[in-house]
Amino acid sequence: MSLSNEYKKILGLNRRNQEYIRPYNPPSAKNIADNKILTKKVLAREGIKTPQIYKVIRNKKQLAFLDWASLPKSFVIKPNKGTGGNGIIVFFGKKKKETAWIRPSGEIMSKRDIILHIENILEGRFSMGSKSDVAIIEERVKTDPLLKQYSYRGVPDIRVICFNSVPIMAMTRLPTKRSNGTANLHSGAICTGIDIATGITTYSMQMNPRALFSDTYENIDSTTDLKVNKKLSGIQIPYWDEILRIALVCQRASNLGYIGVDIALDRENGPVVFELNARPGLGIQVANRTGLRWRLEKVEDLEIKSIKHGIRVAKNLFGGEVEESIEAISGRKVVNINEKIYLYHSDSKDSEKPKREPFTSFMDTGVLTSRVSKNVASRLGFLSTVKFFNSLDIPKKFDSLKEAQEYIDKNIENLTKDEKILRIAKTIEEDKVVIRPVVVITTKISGDIKDIEMIITDNMPYPLALGRADLKGYLIDTSKTFK
Amino acid sequence: MEYSFFTQLLLDNGVPRQILELLVAITLLATLVSIARYIFGFKTYGVYAPIILAISYSYSGLRYGLVVTAVVIITTLISYSIIKRIRMHYITRIAMNYCLLSISLVLLFLIVGRYGLGLENMSNIPPLAVISIAALSDFFIKQYVGKSLKTTTLVLGSTILIAIIGWYLITRQNVSNFMINNLWIVPSLIFVNLLIGQFKGLRIKDLLRFNSILAEKENVPK
Repeated sequence: MSLSNEYKKILGLNRRNQEYIRPYNPPSAKNIADNKILTKKVLAREGIKTPQIYKVIRNKKQLAFLDWASLPKSFVIKPNKGTGGNGIIVFFGKKKKETAWIRPSGEIMSKRDIILHIENILEGRFSMGSKSDVAIIEERVKTDPLLKQYSYRGVPDIRVICFNSVPIMAMTRLPTKRSNGTANLHSGAICTGIDIATGITTYSMQMNPRALFSDTYENIDSTTDLKVNKKLSGIQIPYWDEILRIALVCQRASNLGYIGVDIALDRENGPVVFELNARPGLGIQVANRTGLRWRLEKVEDLEIKSIKHGIRVAKNLFGGEVEESIEAISGRKVVNINEKIYLYHSDSKDSEKPKREPFTSFMDTGVLTSRVSKNVASRLGFLSTVKFFNSLDIPKKFDSLKEAQEYIDKNIENLTKDEKILRIAKTIEEDKVVIRPVVVITTKISGDIKDIEMIITDNMPYPLALGRADLKGYLIDTSKTFK
Repeated sequence: MEYSFFTQLLLDNGVPRQILELLVAITLLATLVSIARYIFGFKTYGVYAPIILAISYSYSGLRYGLVVTAVVIITTLISYSIIKRIRMHYITRIAMNYCLLSISLVLLFLIVGRYGLGLENMSNIPPLAVISIAALSDFFIKQYVGKSLKTTTLVLGSTILIAIIGWYLITRQNVSNFMINNLWIVPSLIFVNLLIGQFKGLRIKDLLRFNSILAEKENVPK
C-alpha cells in the first residue's frame, strides 16, 4: 500500500475538529463533558458508576465552613471544569493526630495548603478560560490489582473512543515515575493499545522526552520504573465487554457523537467512569499503530440498532490488532482454525498472471501432511493425475502400514508415472490403510506463498486441510471454531 | 510617494497612513499565524501575542526587541518559580511578577546605559513597544500554570518565531508599499483564511507525530 494511502488512514487535528467534533458534538453535549458534576448526574441516570462526591465547594464561604473531620483518609480534590488533569490532587492517607493529608509522592499537605489549593480552583486557575470554578472533593478510586502492578503509584485508566454508537479504538494509560503518578501522556504516562475484539493489550508507547517540536513517541514493551518491570503486551483487560458497553452508554447519555470515555477499574466497584472527553486526543492512534480516520469513515453511515450491535460491529471491523501484535512479538502469524487460503492452478503457476482460487482450509494439527479432496485437486489442474491414479489396479486397503509401504516400494515406478505425482503416501482413511498420490500445490496462506505437498484423498470432511508439516510458524486461533 | 487611487482616497478622507499600514500589516500577521497553526501545527499564545510582538519588534528593531523579550521571559521564569513557593492567591502572584518585571527592565536600561553592550540606542525604543513585549509575561504564566515548562517554552518559541517572520515581512519596504497600494490583498487574505479554515489535511506536526505508525506500516511484509 502506498504511503499516501497510509496517510489517509490517520486522523489529524484539523479533520478531527472539522469533521467530527464540530458537527457531532453540540455545545449542550460539550457542556456535560466539560462539567464533572453534570457528567456524574447524567451518568447516574443511566446507572453508570462514577467516583462518589463527598463535598462540593462553590465559594469561599462554603470552604470556610467545610467540615474537615468528616473527610475520609483518602480522597481527591479536582476542579469541576478543569482541563488536562490540571488542579487534581490525590490524597492517599491522613497524618495521625493532625489535619494534614499525605499525597502519593509522600508530600504532606496541611489544611492550610489544601485551602489555598481549593481557593485557586475557585478562582479558576485550572479551568477552561480561567473562569471561576467549583471544587469537588470525591472518592479516590482504588485500582484493580491487575492494572495496579503495571502502574507507578497513580490510577491507570482506559480510554475508549466511540463514534456513531461504535467503540472505535481503545488504549490504557499507565502512570509512571516520569508522569509523577498521573495518567497524562504528555507528562510521560505509558499508553498501551487495546485490541477492541478481545480487550488484550497490544503495543505500548511513551512520549519521547527529548522530542522538541512535535509530540513523538518511542516504542516500549515493558514498564520502566517499577521494582519488577512487566511486559505490557498480552494483558487481558478485565470487564472488557462491560467497558465497551459503559462507553457506549456514556455516549448515548451525553449526546456526544464523537467521544472519549475515561474509565478506571476500581478494586471493589469494577469499571468506574472518570470523565467524558468531548475533544479526545489523537495519541491513541500511536498506541494502536493504526489511524482513527479509516475506522471513523467505516462506521459513519452505519445504522447501529443497539449497544450490543455497536460492540459487535466494532469487534468484527476493528478486532485483530492482537494478532498482528503476536506476529510482531513472536514472529508467528495467527491463522483461524478455518482460514481462507488461495490455491494456484498447477498449469498456470509459472505464467505471469497465475490463476488461483480461494478455499476455506481446516487447520488440522492431527495429521502431518496436508490433504486436498479429489474434486478440488481436479479443479486445480490435477484431473489427469486423479484419473491416472484411479485407473491403476491398487488394492482398496492394506492390512498394515508396513504392507502398504512394501507395495509402494515394489510398484513405485508404475505408481508415479504421472509427472505431477511427487511421491506416494500411505494413510489411514476410515480405519483402513490406503495409499494415495502426493502432489505439490502452490498456496497463499496469510500472505505467504509457498509450495505444499498435499495428499489427494477421498472421504474428507473438508475439501482442504493443512497438516502440521505446513503449519510451522503459525499460531491457530480457535475462537472462530463455532460461528 | 505615489499611491493607488483607492489608497489615496482613504488617505484623503482621514485615514492616517501609519494606521492604514498597521491595519494592513495586522491582516498579514494574523494570516501568518493561521498558516503556522493549521498547516504547520505551530501553537502560539493566541493570535494577539505574535501580532503585537511583531509590531513591537518593528518599532523597537529586532535586536532590541529580542533583548527585551529575553529579559521579560528570564525574569518571569525566575520570579514565578520563586513566587509559586509562597502561599498566596494567584492574581497577587501575577501582580508581584509584574512588579519584579518592572524592576528588571529598569535594571536593563541602567546596565545598557552604563555599559553599552552594543545596545546604545536602547533608550530610543518607544515605551509602548517595551510594554507590549512585557505583556508576553502574562501569556507565559497563564500557560505555565497549566502546562509543563517544556510545553510552555515550546509555545513561547513558536510565538517568537512567528513574530520574527512577521516582523521580517512587515518591515520590508517593498512588501509594505505593495500592500498599501494593493488593498485588495485584505479581502484576498480573508479568502486565504477561508481556505485554511476548510483545510482538513494533516498538519506538518501531525506528520511528524504519527510518523511512527507509518514507519511501522512500511516495515510490514507485503
